[in-house]
Amino acid sequence: MDSNNDEALDIIVTNVVATFRTRCHLNLRKIALEGTNVIYKPEVGKVLMKLRKPTITASIWSSGKIICTGATSEDEAKLGARRLARCLQKLGFKVRFSAFKVVNVLAVCSMPFAVHLVNFTNNNRPIASYEPELHPAATYRIKHLKATVQVFSTGSLTVTGPNVQNVATAVEHIYPLLYECQKPRK
Amino acid sequence: MSSRVCRTCGGSDIDVDQARGSAVCTNCGAVLEDNIIVSEVQFVEGSGGVSSAVGQFVSADGPVKAPLLGSGFHTGVGKESRAQTLQNGKRQIQQLGSQLQLNQHCLDTAFNFFKLVVSKHLTRGRRTEHVIAACLYLVCRTEGTPHMLLDLSDLLQVNVYILGRTFLLLARELCINAPAIDPCLYIPRFAHMLEFGGKNHEVSMTALRLLQRMKRDWMHTGRRPSGLCGAALLVAARMHKFRRSVKDVISVVKVCQTTLRKRLTEFEDTPTSQLTVDEFMKVDLEQECDPPSFTAGQHKVKMQQLEQELAKKLDEVEGEISCYTEEIETELEKSRPKLRGIYAAYTKEIDPEDEAVLSSTSDLEEKEGDDADLQAATQHLTQDFLSQVIQEEGPGKRTPDGVYNQEAAPEKEEVDERPQAIPLSSILGKLPSPASLGLQETFQTFHKSEPPENPDEEPAQTGELDLEGIDDQEIEKYILNDKEVEVKTELWIKQNADYLKEQKEKEERIKKEKEQGTYKEKKRRQRKREQIEAATAGEAIERMLEKKRISTKINYDVLRDLNQSSGSLSTPPSEPTEGAATRKRLSRRRRKTRDVNAELSANATMMTKKFRRLISSSPRKRKDAPQEEPAAAMETDSEAVPEAPPEDAPDAGPAPADAPPLLDTEEEEEAEEECVSALQLVGDYGCEEEEVF
Repeated sequence: MDSNNDEALDIIVTNVVATFRTRCHLNLRKIALEGTNVIYKPEVGKVLMKLRKPTITASIWSSGKIICTGATSEDEAKLGARRLARCLQKLGFKVRFSAFKVVNVLAVCSMPFAVHLVNFTNNNRPIASYEPELHPAATYRIKHLKATVQVFSTGSLTVTGPNVQNVATAVEHIYPLLYECQKPRK
Repeated sequence: MSSRVCRTCGGSDIDVDQARGSAVCTNCGAVLEDNIIVSEVQFVEGSGGVSSAVGQFVSADGPVKAPLLGSGFHTGVGKESRAQTLQNGKRQIQQLGSQLQLNQHCLDTAFNFFKLVVSKHLTRGRRTEHVIAACLYLVCRTEGTPHMLLDLSDLLQVNVYILGRTFLLLARELCINAPAIDPCLYIPRFAHMLEFGGKNHEVSMTALRLLQRMKRDWMHTGRRPSGLCGAALLVAARMHKFRRSVKDVISVVKVCQTTLRKRLTEFEDTPTSQLTVDEFMKVDLEQECDPPSFTAGQHKVKMQQLEQELAKKLDEVEGEISCYTEEIETELEKSRPKLRGIYAAYTKEIDPEDEAVLSSTSDLEEKEGDDADLQAATQHLTQDFLSQVIQEEGPGKRTPDGVYNQEAAPEKEEVDERPQAIPLSSILGKLPSPASLGLQETFQTFHKSEPPENPDEEPAQTGELDLEGIDDQEIEKYILNDKEVEVKTELWIKQNADYLKEQKEKEERIKKEKEQGTYKEKKRRQRKREQIEAATAGEAIERMLEKKRISTKINYDVLRDLNQSSGSLSTPPSEPTEGAATRKRLSRRRRKTRDVNAELSANATMMTKKFRRLISSSPRKRKDAPQEEPAAAMETDSEAVPEAPPEDAPDAGPAPADAPPLLDTEEEEEAEEECVSALQLVGDYGCEEEEVF
């Protein structure tokens, strides 16, 4: 991260999304009625359960598949997932914790300079795309990392990728490209 | 023609006669090919001795325009699905494009894009109108016309972001780099709509200059171009003494008031705004500004830096007083045991005080440093409270003795930690404190104990839940006890009463249908499929083939052989499956395929009742089918001719098990019309790409 600049670039992970399976059928109505902090959506067919610590929101389907969002690190996501499974176990379901996978990681980062988006897009077509009518940021998709970086004109970035390592690599990858197109400072 | 080997004798000397269209082996005399298709140009003498080539030009896109046939139906009789899609797309493009007043060249380019899209199968899963809008917008961008995506979404009544998503995807897949939007493009269009009369051009020029200035001041990156245009036009109008209010401008430009005001304020902040009208027209300032969002960010950073400096200053001041605090605190320690006795009460009392302390310290930080002495004094006073609070939470963090026996450096740490401790304590103060402390401790221990463990491997294999680091007690809080469950159940049932009713009704309905035997699973939009009653599998297949549309790509001869081998009575429907009436009409149309058909005419003799049913039933089936055009043509054809028998056939047609009386009438007709071959008729049917199997 610090290899190409003097100051440290803080990459702050804001959201980690993970999925896992309980390998057993879950009765959503029972969970809804016997759990605290649950929202039951019968039309969609899922239950939203919120844990306080770590702050995690989980979508639970009756097939036993569960999606956990809101964690701030991969470890936290795993801990939250396990807590959730334990909670379901206590409710009486034969829960087995399997197939835990972190699916998406969202991080924000800020460059110390502003970026000229039109130049950046022109230099990096067609990997980068910029539609001011639709979104104020330029989108840069890195295929081999499966990561997407959104660059704003102030120099802040939001990066999404399949894991934290990829996200960090994506920032490193894009830093020199942004450096070329920075706006001249006063 | 490559020289082939004769089948009978193996000789390779084959004589091909172009005139007769036959290939004969010179060795044994076996005829290898009859009716060779020749690709030569034929000439015909027209009136006045002019000779012209026989044939029609067919475009590479396929039969886009159906050749004018006897009755002149353009409606895609016997076209392939691809051609239909393209034709449909072309029509929609023309329609939409004319509403946008695009010229023909643009529309043609858009159609080319559409063809590319279809060939890359990008239309699957997307509404055609979205795809067409995206193609049109792509053309607008590449040509640089002043059309916005908003205009397209207005015309189609679709969310602009949905259109944008489709547009981005198509641009990426087709590798078309649309140049970035220049707000300058929109100025003439909006100026025209604002009706400046004779001075239109001047106002536009002024607005353009303003825009260029905005660009240089980095106001335009990341902003909607229409917003910038609106601001520029408003200022330009005022400069030329036209009265255009904000409302007029926003109705033309399609941004909201707040946005416009914001752009105006940002422009106000630039030095250019200070120039007078004349000066602006003549002089161009060289200085460039930073973008407004950047300056806002810079402002925040400056504020943070100021706060940090203040904090440092305070630290220095505190350092001077530290020696005094040491003495005071050592004395307090002696009196501490009494305080510990009333620990519980004290913690509660401190909660409101903590909040007061927090607010006061934050206020302190915000002051400009003029009251440094005052601040130092108040800080000193509050430190006592803070130190006591920290000590009382000490059991979880550190011993009180350790702090005060050390020197200034760790005290600075303490002070530094206090700003962190303050928010923690205020937060903790709101929760039940003993419990919160317990939780905090467990959380910290979890964090530390987590990394050294390797719970991943085993649970993944066995699926067992690893209970390390999970506090059961805490989790039990997530589960309600029995009474609560009852209450919640009642509440939930009341709330969701409607949904529960619907579910019950649905279940009852399904039960009834099951009893009646007409239970349909989920899909209510099924076409009316009659039950196929057949004695053998072969018969069942035949009847199914009848009902479904025939495809030109199946070799029905082979099919027939298969069925015959299994011993079914009737031969399955093959290509010559057309009906009496239809054949007549169709024979007029399909003169092209005559050569091929000659072969198959032999097969035409194999007619069975199945064919007739197919003929009779298929026009009816065609009605239901989505491909309405061929069906409509067929239908109208069949209905137009006032022939009683064919009309009876479609009317009585549907059920294959019915209508034995029909067979008699149809049989008579079949005998008359064997000369026309099947494929001609099939050619008209051959619009399907769906396979029967």
